[in-house]
Amino acid sequence: MRHHSLFPIFIASISVFVIGCSNAPPGFLPVNNNAAVFWDRQTTESAELLRTVAKEFNQEWTGLPIKVERSGTYGDIFRKITAGIHAKRLPALAVSYESMTNEYIPTGAVTPLDSLLADPEIGLSAKELSDYFPMMLETNRYATHDGTLYSFPFAKSLLMLYFNKRVLAHSGIEAPPKTWDEFIAQCRQVKKNTSNYAHAVSADCSTLNGMIFSMGGSVIEGRTTLYNTPEALAVFQIYETLFKEKLAYLISPGSYEDNIALSKGDIAFVLRSSSSLEDMKLLMQKDPDGWGLTCIPQRNPETPATVLYGPNICIFNTTEAQKRSAWAFVKHFTAPESAVRWSLKTGYLPVRKSVLTHPDMIAFWKKWPYNRAPFDCLTFARPEPNVAGWQQVRNLAARAVTEVMTGMRDATSSADELKHRADDALAQVADSSTLP
Amino acid sequence: MQHTCANIIHLFQSIIALPDTILAKLDAVLFELHRRGWGDWPAALLLLSPAFLILSVFVLAPMVSSFYMSLFGGRHGLGHYVGLENYVIAMRNLEFRSSLMVTLYYVAGVVPLSLTISFSIAYGLYRITIGRGLLRSIYFLPYITSAVAAAMIWRALFNPQNGAINILLNYIGVESLNWLLEPHGALYIITNGYIPSNWGPSLALVCIILFDVWHSCGFMTVIFLAGLTAIPRELEEAARIDGAGTFRLIRHVTLPMLSPTLFFLLIVGVIKAFQTFNSFYALTHGSSMPGTQNLILYIYAQFYEYGYWGYGAAVATLLMLAIVLLTLIQWHFVGRRVHYS
Repeated sequence: MRHHSLFPIFIASISVFVIGCSNAPPGFLPVNNNAAVFWDRQTTESAELLRTVAKEFNQEWTGLPIKVERSGTYGDIFRKITAGIHAKRLPALAVSYESMTNEYIPTGAVTPLDSLLADPEIGLSAKELSDYFPMMLETNRYATHDGTLYSFPFAKSLLMLYFNKRVLAHSGIEAPPKTWDEFIAQCRQVKKNTSNYAHAVSADCSTLNGMIFSMGGSVIEGRTTLYNTPEALAVFQIYETLFKEKLAYLISPGSYEDNIALSKGDIAFVLRSSSSLEDMKLLMQKDPDGWGLTCIPQRNPETPATVLYGPNICIFNTTEAQKRSAWAFVKHFTAPESAVRWSLKTGYLPVRKSVLTHPDMIAFWKKWPYNRAPFDCLTFARPEPNVAGWQQVRNLAARAVTEVMTGMRDATSSADELKHRADDALAQVADSSTLP
Repeated sequence: MQHTCANIIHLFQSIIALPDTILAKLDAVLFELHRRGWGDWPAALLLLSPAFLILSVFVLAPMVSSFYMSLFGGRHGLGHYVGLENYVIAMRNLEFRSSLMVTLYYVAGVVPLSLTISFSIAYGLYRITIGRGLLRSIYFLPYITSAVAAAMIWRALFNPQNGAINILLNYIGVESLNWLLEPHGALYIITNGYIPSNWGPSLALVCIILFDVWHSCGFMTVIFLAGLTAIPRELEEAARIDGAGTFRLIRHVTLPMLSPTLFFLLIVGVIKAFQTFNSFYALTHGSSMPGTQNLILYIYAQFYEYGYWGYGAAVATLLMLAIVLLTLIQWHFVGRRVHYS
């Protein structure tokens, strides 16, 4: 009897936790009541420009001011948002890939943007809306959620091939490769002439997808992945050849060792986002003519393809004032004048068509011929899947590339294993019910 | 008893400065309970209640809450009730088993190595008289260094292309290794493929073990040193007179006398090793590279990347049970051999 004296305290504290962790009512509190916080990942000059644009916006806007906070990498931001969803406390807006947004939607954390777009005061007119690249808008409509616009294009980029001209010239190569066969041949030539690796591989799902697109393949059909199709297998075979012939090495996850190696002339090729353009300019400032970028190699250069990636913006379901400020800022940021500045300074692609005819943009292209390369690829770029569960597939894809690049598996078994595990992961998501 | 109650009340008064009227009432209640045959229980419970409340809120309740969550399916929340199905799924899941193996290899590597090396360092420091304080501080430095910051340095050292370790190996004619990017077994590499690749820890995991041994040795060294200095000198002198050499002295005098310290470090070391996150995350950048995902990283991915709350909670509960079970086993088998006097 006496031993039960503390029992009520114990039960009470457990009840608090159980209630807290169970089905709490929807609705999220802002992380800051006095400002609309924007979680972003930009660094160096692009971060500075983003803050400048926010400052300019705050001077004109009468609602809550925008406060830009650097919150780590995209992965870090995803984990922070997920933790924020659990804690019911979120920023006003954050950068987000489609696969991430798809994870947030079922929790009710993301605001559908269609009503904000139609808002008479801060919405977009039909003319303005038609100025956005349709493909970039479409990828933010989620088929599994009635085609609702849950995110908005923000900083789009493409997979490009960066090359070091000095290394190529030293190996007797005049122009970068146009096909994957040429790419392998040139890697061999570089290896033969320099006794160094020709390429550094970042094990990354988007790069893998871009390469599969360039082979003429796709990565998903409905909710079934296509990672063991002949096109996907051909990509894994490229990785296998690069590993077996010691033409390429794997870089540390999350690092930019490949960009640094390219700038030092240690390797000839890097496959990276067009948003690396400005970073590469900084790295190559002592030899600005010693490098270039071009479209990734293709199976058939007549029908080219690459991957369109880069983050979008999510606005979270907090207060009306937070949502309105967040949307007004997104509108301001993607307005032609801001979009031109952003694109020129960061290497990200503009999300509006009118930017392509802007005098500053034309002057930028004339300044250095390679500045135009990403824009030339824009017409044939393809977005990545935006199905629920893709986040897990991204990790599996990175693992599959790592396994081939370290000799743990051959191309065929890696492709088969990825297909099998990715399909399982997507099926598991489909089977799992979300919040009741 | 009234005297004891008054002491307790004065203690509370000094801490929270209760008004005298309340204190007098509390005193009277405790005295009355004691008089009615409750003994010292009310006073004891009163003293234990703050700690118990904190433990209940921050330890017991999350444990129960985690078990409760593990009984549900769904993503990013608690979906339908599934009973113990998440546990069954975990047992059948290959990635879970692989993460468990990584954890076991890690514990089996890091605990004995840390204990052995830190005991050796502590014994060396115990034996010297000049510069002991300085050396003790130097050996303690890694422990107070941020694991994430230190891991960045180790990542640079282990870099396959331009890391200092490979440069050194190349200098002495040994081929470069991939270190943290090497999923093949360390034994496979050492024996040049004679032992299968999936036997034993991956080379990347061995690198993580080495990092954590380096990082944790300072703490264990200081604890060992404190234990060593508490051993009566007469015992050693007597053993020396009886003709014991250094190793016999350690085996028959030092280690038995040090057994409570050793036991404490063993228990704490095993628990900590099972729960390691920082070094794995910082050294591998949280990547899903084969052979470097321990159970904590696995749970982290289930919760924060894939949104499987129930499943993640089930694995967390399994991990907790494994730690409790292992601690009890250690307590039963090793605890009996500890000399407390």
